[in-house]
Amino acid sequence: MSFLTIDNATKSYGTVEVLHKIDIDVQEGEFLVLVGPSGCGKSTLLNMIAGLEDISSGTISIKGNSMNGVHPSNRNIAMVFQSYALYPNMNVAKNITFGLEMHGVPKAERETALQDAAKLLQIEPLLDRKPGQLSGGQRQRVAMGRALVRNPDVFLFDEPLSNLDAKLRVDMRTEIKKLHQKLGTTIVYVTHDQIEALTLSTRVAVMNGGYIQQLGTPKEIYDTPVNLFVATFMGSPSMNLIPVKILEQGGGLVAETTNGLGETVQLPFAQPPSDLKHYVGRTITLGVRAEALTDPDGADSKASHLVAIKSRVLVTEPAGSDTFVMTVLGGKECNARMRADVQVAPGEDVDFTINMDKVIAFDPETEARIV
Amino acid sequence: MSASSQDNALRSAIYWRALIYTLLIVIAVIYLAPLFVMVVTSLKSLDEVRLGNMMALPLQITFEPWIKAWGSACLGLDCNGINGYFWNSIKMTVPAVAIGTLLGAFNGYVLTKWRFKGHNIVFGMMLFACFIPFQIVLLPMSQVLGWLGLANTTSGLVMVHVVYGLGFTTLFFRNFYEAFPDELVRAAIMDGARFFTIFWRILLPNSGPIIVVTVIWQFTNIWNDFLFGASFADFDSQPMTVALNNLVQSSTGVKEYNVHFAGAILAALPTLLVYIVAGRYFVRGLMAGSVKG
Repeated sequence: MSFLTIDNATKSYGTVEVLHKIDIDVQEGEFLVLVGPSGCGKSTLLNMIAGLEDISSGTISIKGNSMNGVHPSNRNIAMVFQSYALYPNMNVAKNITFGLEMHGVPKAERETALQDAAKLLQIEPLLDRKPGQLSGGQRQRVAMGRALVRNPDVFLFDEPLSNLDAKLRVDMRTEIKKLHQKLGTTIVYVTHDQIEALTLSTRVAVMNGGYIQQLGTPKEIYDTPVNLFVATFMGSPSMNLIPVKILEQGGGLVAETTNGLGETVQLPFAQPPSDLKHYVGRTITLGVRAEALTDPDGADSKASHLVAIKSRVLVTEPAGSDTFVMTVLGGKECNARMRADVQVAPGEDVDFTINMDKVIAFDPETEARIV
Repeated sequence: MSASSQDNALRSAIYWRALIYTLLIVIAVIYLAPLFVMVVTSLKSLDEVRLGNMMALPLQITFEPWIKAWGSACLGLDCNGINGYFWNSIKMTVPAVAIGTLLGAFNGYVLTKWRFKGHNIVFGMMLFACFIPFQIVLLPMSQVLGWLGLANTTSGLVMVHVVYGLGFTTLFFRNFYEAFPDELVRAAIMDGARFFTIFWRILLPNSGPIIVVTVIWQFTNIWNDFLFGASFADFDSQPMTVALNNLVQSSTGVKEYNVHFAGAILAALPTLLVYIVAGRYFVRGLMAGSVKG
């Protein structure tokens, strides 16, 4: 029996169906991230769990009890909003305890809960201030405090970090993760930021167009994306997609394409997916992560199948920890992640190494991964 | 060369500015002249008024006309001044403003945060109230007041003003709450607050600017109303504006212009006061309500 069950949940506005039969089982203590581009339905799904939006068909249940038709405040869930939604007329202490007051918790108990939450989030000195006098990070903490005091079964986060500046966002991300490790409460978290999704979650649901594209651990999502959408949406820089022709050679399969000099190159597969043999003679899309396309010295020494090819450098982008090198393979621009101090210059022809253990083959028509 | 062209630009800017300020001062003088005449005349004795020098400052300042207008001037046969009517106006305006503002806020809350099918049509129809000339409703309204047993009472006047103010108060609050973040309402729902609690504890305490705007607007309109006061009030409930008219129209003996002007200023004083105290917020609130986001 899972803790939070979303079973066949559908949402329609009039005749337009925006969420199509969503099925997710969340175990107790899990950190589930719903990620996808805007309009994919992730916020709608979160609001349906919260009870702020009606569910058109299907059920959402928490601890085995159906939540359909249950008022949001009676679901024992708490939510952190994108704009923090702190009540501007109340001070921090009032903001945090308002929910308890509404639930008829006695004043002494409210005070204890407030002190505990304030201590946990280190906002004790701020309790008398109004939200207008707080910085973005402090508001974020207060919003989390408001959720914490309720001691809910499930925390819902609706893009809580998107209003913060880049540095603070990374700090708060760690704080949220720490908080989850300390409390062990079940969390459902919505974001459009794929890095947030990968770093925070125990499982990720990648959504697009009202469908769940893939549900899995961050590693599964990153290493074995089920289709081109997941492959390109998750990961930064985006996965390189190279059109290649599949050929049979000496009992194995090779991918044939062109390098940046216009020469034909061949990339033998290490362990080709079993269905790939049906594609012999056809052109498929080969997905190569930037870190699987690198300079010979930067290549993963544990990799079993490294293939070296020469190609021409278009642009270099030193990023501090790495240098991103742009080249052309199969007529498509590709990003290679090289060591920070690699010596390459635009216009040069240099050696690249492809880690064939890590490449993924996609059917160009169905866009699904070839397994 | 460039220095001289800069000089020229600077000089022409100064000329422009001088011209604009002169124009503004002239307009201000024209606009304030009647008020000046009223204040000056109300501080003169009747003998001095008869000298006919309207714009001159009083030779000897006297507050006699003010005291007389307030306490002993004759309106028709009743010679107790306008003070009783002043209280009539207060008794009418304060409840009408309070109820009208509160109802407007409530309408705005429902029309933006608890939308129902056809909410725009309802709002559109309420806006009609802003465009209906008051003369049109005089007869039907007196009929309604008769049915309700409120004819010739202060409560009747309060009701009339609440009803006719509702279009504007709803408009103000709806536009203000339109820009009020929905997430706050959602957060309150998650916290367990229900319909009325959200209104009282979240929306209303955050409506300061628009409350000020609405109060000033309603107060000025209701206090200055003459038509409804003259039509629906009896002798005991007549507001200040009607009393002022009676004071000026009373034709026993000489026309006491100084008393009339003193009475007129007294009648205008509360609205003036409201503007001075809250005018700053008025401008700010008008902006806040009209510009979304």
